[in-house]
Amino acid sequence: MNQTLETTPAQRDAVTDADVTLIVGLEVHVQLDTQSKLFCNCSTAYGADANTQTCPVCTGMPGTLPVINERALELAIKTGLALNCKIANYTKWDRKNYFYPDLPKGYQISQFDKPICGEGHLTISDAKAAFETRDIQIERAHLEEDAGKSIHDETGAKKPSKIDLNRTGTPLLEIVTKPDLRSAEEAKAFLTELKLILTYIDVSDCNMQEGSLRCDGNVNLHINVDGQKIATPIVEVKNLNSFRAAERAIAYEAARQLRVWKKDGLGIADAPKQTRGWDDANQKTTKSREKEDAADYRYFPDPDLIAVETTDQEINAIAATIEYLPAKLRTELMEDYSLEAYDTEVIVSQGIGVVKYYKTVADFLTKSASGLKSPGKTASNWVAQEVLRYLNEQNCEIGDYPVSGGQLGELLGRIAKGDFDQTRGKDVLAQMLENGANLEAAVEKLGIKTVDAGEVEALCQQIIEENQGVIEQIKGGKVQAVGSLIGKAKKLNPNINPNLVKETILKQIGI
Amino acid sequence: MSNLAQNVAKLARIDLPDAKAEAVQENLEKVLNYVQQLEAVELPDDIEPFFGAIESVNAIRVDELQPSYPREEILSNAPDSDGQFYKVPSVFDE
Amino acid sequence: MQIEQLSVAELVEHIGKGDLSAAQCTEHFLGQIRDKNDDNGAFLAQCDQEAADAAKQIDASIAAGKSLGPLAGLPVAVKDGICTAGVTTTAGSKMLSKFVPPYDATIVSRLKDAGAIVIGKTNMDEFAMGSSNENSAFHPAKNPWNHDHVPGGSSGGSATAVAARMAPVAIGSDTGGSIRQPASFCGITGLKPTYGRVSRYGLIAFASSLDQIGPMTRSAEDCALVMQTLAGHDKKDSTSAPVDVADYMAALNKPLAGLKIGICKQHFEEGLGDEVRAKVNEAIDVLKSLGASTAEIELPYTQYGIAAYYVIAPCEASSNLSRFDGVRYTNRAAAEGLEEMYSKTRAEFFGEEVKKRILLGTHALSSGYYDAYYLKASKVRRMIKNDYDKAFESVDLILGPTVPTTAFKFNQHAADPLAMYLADVYTVAANLSGVPALSIPCGFDSAGLPIGLQLQARRFDEATLLQTAHQYQTQTDWHQRSPQS
Ligand SMILES: [Mg+2]
Ligand SMILES: [Zn+2]
Repeated sequence: MNQTLETTPAQRDAVTDADVTLIVGLEVHVQLDTQSKLFCNCSTAYGADANTQTCPVCTGMPGTLPVINERALELAIKTGLALNCKIANYTKWDRKNYFYPDLPKGYQISQFDKPICGEGHLTISDAKAAFETRDIQIERAHLEEDAGKSIHDETGAKKPSKIDLNRTGTPLLEIVTKPDLRSAEEAKAFLTELKLILTYIDVSDCNMQEGSLRCDGNVNLHINVDGQKIATPIVEVKNLNSFRAAERAIAYEAARQLRVWKKDGLGIADAPKQTRGWDDANQKTTKSREKEDAADYRYFPDPDLIAVETTDQEINAIAATIEYLPAKLRTELMEDYSLEAYDTEVIVSQGIGVVKYYKTVADFLTKSASGLKSPGKTASNWVAQEVLRYLNEQNCEIGDYPVSGGQLGELLGRIAKGDFDQTRGKDVLAQMLENGANLEAAVEKLGIKTVDAGEVEALCQQIIEENQGVIEQIKGGKVQAVGSLIGKAKKLNPNINPNLVKETILKQIGI
Repeated sequence: MSNLAQNVAKLARIDLPDAKAEAVQENLEKVLNYVQQLEAVELPDDIEPFFGAIESVNAIRVDELQPSYPREEILSNAPDSDGQFYKVPSVFDE
Repeated sequence: MQIEQLSVAELVEHIGKGDLSAAQCTEHFLGQIRDKNDDNGAFLAQCDQEAADAAKQIDASIAAGKSLGPLAGLPVAVKDGICTAGVTTTAGSKMLSKFVPPYDATIVSRLKDAGAIVIGKTNMDEFAMGSSNENSAFHPAKNPWNHDHVPGGSSGGSATAVAARMAPVAIGSDTGGSIRQPASFCGITGLKPTYGRVSRYGLIAFASSLDQIGPMTRSAEDCALVMQTLAGHDKKDSTSAPVDVADYMAALNKPLAGLKIGICKQHFEEGLGDEVRAKVNEAIDVLKSLGASTAEIELPYTQYGIAAYYVIAPCEASSNLSRFDGVRYTNRAAAEGLEEMYSKTRAEFFGEEVKKRILLGTHALSSGYYDAYYLKASKVRRMIKNDYDKAFESVDLILGPTVPTTAFKFNQHAADPLAMYLADVYTVAANLSGVPALSIPCGFDSAGLPIGLQLQARRFDEATLLQTAHQYQTQTDWHQRSPQS
């Protein structure tokens, strides 16, 4: 790559989208789900009154010393394993020195040259080819303490800023990708999959509103000019507080960088790394107020902490606590439950709770209604359409869904057996959701009774007599016309089994 | 080297008036010249740095909560606070 | 009974038996401070009320026949760089002139749990940076043997307090010699324990990988008694060692027969004062007469000790002192915006020596210099440690002078700060390598100023240091002499 290649305005004007490759690397800060902070015993719970979750250690009082939280180490290793990272048998702590009012010690305890998790990768579905996958390389993941919260006066009146140190010392895992992502959509797909994994292995609640998952992106372009590749200056985009923001900010930045480069022609060697923030209200990135020259962090090993050694045995024990990973479950649903990729994704993307629920329904159905052609598909239809719709409408979690997987399986079994049809089944489900989950009670409440064989015979007999025209059509070979007769039968008796009606009519007219 | 004192003072957030810069610079150089003798010290190639502390590992603690300190105790040493927050001059000082 | 001349063991015994109340004892030493502090400046604060309350409790426990801690009723002076809950802790700096910690340092809790009573906070060089106490932001402490001379530093106030009989025991901290050098200058016994032997929790850090808290007393026996309480693992300090604590008192009376003492030629070369050399040699003879033998050893890399120290300590300090930024601890300079507040506060409330070391450390860690300074110094540090490891394969102790000279005069080194730094030339290597080291008085120069002898031992072998020092003190009375003032 020729970074200092001079280009003429004419050359730059000639560049089209096809000559431009977007290069994106992400840095994701994940709050690990510990009870206490990384180096002291204060709570990490969100939302407490300002400065009520602090102590001499996390406020950096003179003389205090940090002691590492074992659980944070475990969760970091667990995450590393889920991201296919090499886990370090030896890891240590370094100080990152900078001044900011919400950084009480004047340095952040972080990891510089010996991160707890080394190289790894995360597989995403390829944005360019449906259901193909692509591995995004992870550079490293390291543990560090969070800073506090500054509340600035935005009125321009230069009023004092207010500092809350509740957050200070909260354990973060900073996951750094290689510059492997090639589009804004891909960045979003990476974040979505990452969040899914983190919630599956239960290391973080990933609540972006509460700051449990935060993302920065390093963005630049590689531009092909007459066969030579030119890199534009790297811009770090901060404050990507939602997946949508990440996607839009990266797309915006890609367009902006191309526009700027076409004007000034500056390459990566001509300009220092710039920091820009995503302005969600105005949907654009803006230059940060941070001073460019301040970034000399003077990293050195923290003399207050000693190294951490982890044996392979300990790492294996942590690996054994990883029960579910989305990728594995996708394969399982497709192979063991014969689901299509699309249906699988609908279930898996909802999290482990929905997957478990789905499996309970499907397993029940497989066992109790062996005649069903595709119990897996039937279960997925109901979960995707009925259950997820309810969760969405009620804004609740699968754990709060009033009907258990077993009960839904039972209901679907009854439908499969022909006790009532789908539409009636949905009525039953609605009844169960509203008035308690008991299937029999719901069936009874709706007045659904099993119609005995003699009654079906009589009813069919009556319909045949009253609809001779249709019968003639059927006899003439238009068998599907029986559908209209089933509708009539249902009007006469809503509890009647449509399949049985069809069978009986055809039998009675000798087809 | 001539701006060393001023550059470092900026990094260390210590106001250094121009009038004092030269004297501070001289003072720093004296020590830096002295410690420069380290440059010439020959060492075995494979020598590992010793960052001190104890040559042991894994001083870790169980993840459990202990009560935090009362806010008024934490804030009591602050030069400026409103009883809830620390207060600092505006960061927008340009 | 001349209370201020009693040993730690005697004081504790008298108090325990009831023929001296803790209240009387405490009041006696508080009186000593009131009488002498204006002249010698050993203390920055006196804890009259807290001490009186604590003494009353001890006396009540005695009256009730409750079991007592090993130091019940013992007045202790604590260096002002060590946090005491509810008592102003300044570290000798204007930056912290009003700082009241809401917590006790671990060693303060341990002392209190053992029944000791904190009677005051002792003077020190600002943030422990100095070898003369002239860097105290408040007033210098003075050498009780001659007020024109410095007491040494940085634990100068602690040394003065013990030598001037204002406290039977003082706690100091030692980063490059800050316990041993003032102990030498003031004619007392001072122990820098093995790195990790005593918890640093609550010690306001100067250079974290070098700092260690230790006792300063009149005799090795007193030192052993107090050390028994100070030593031990602390889960609040990740660098404190999970190593069992020896029975120091039991070790004291073991004979020295068979003890191998290493003598390093470098400790006796240029720069060493003649009178100091002579007295140290006499001390070697005393130890030989007790059955110890000597052998020459080499510590080749220790010649780079001062240079390595003046890289490593300022680097760590520059980071440790970043927290003093005007946001949380008491003092803030008037300023328009945040950046100005930072730089004005740090310029106004840090003293000159502290600022100089912060700048040095900031420079040495800054982009492009790390390898040449911090990394190289840390590699030299490894070599120094290896020197010690090798030496201790053949000897049990290393003996030499603590300081090349006796106490110098105030302002003597004002023109040449490097000369002051060289006062630590024999002491820094113990901090860099982590070994324990102790200074005991071994004579006086012709001006009547004390001379100190340094003993260094294997890591965690404080027992041998104390044993040797105690055996020496059974044969000599240097440690029993008191200054006139
Ligand atoms: Mg980070
Ligand atoms: Zn805390």
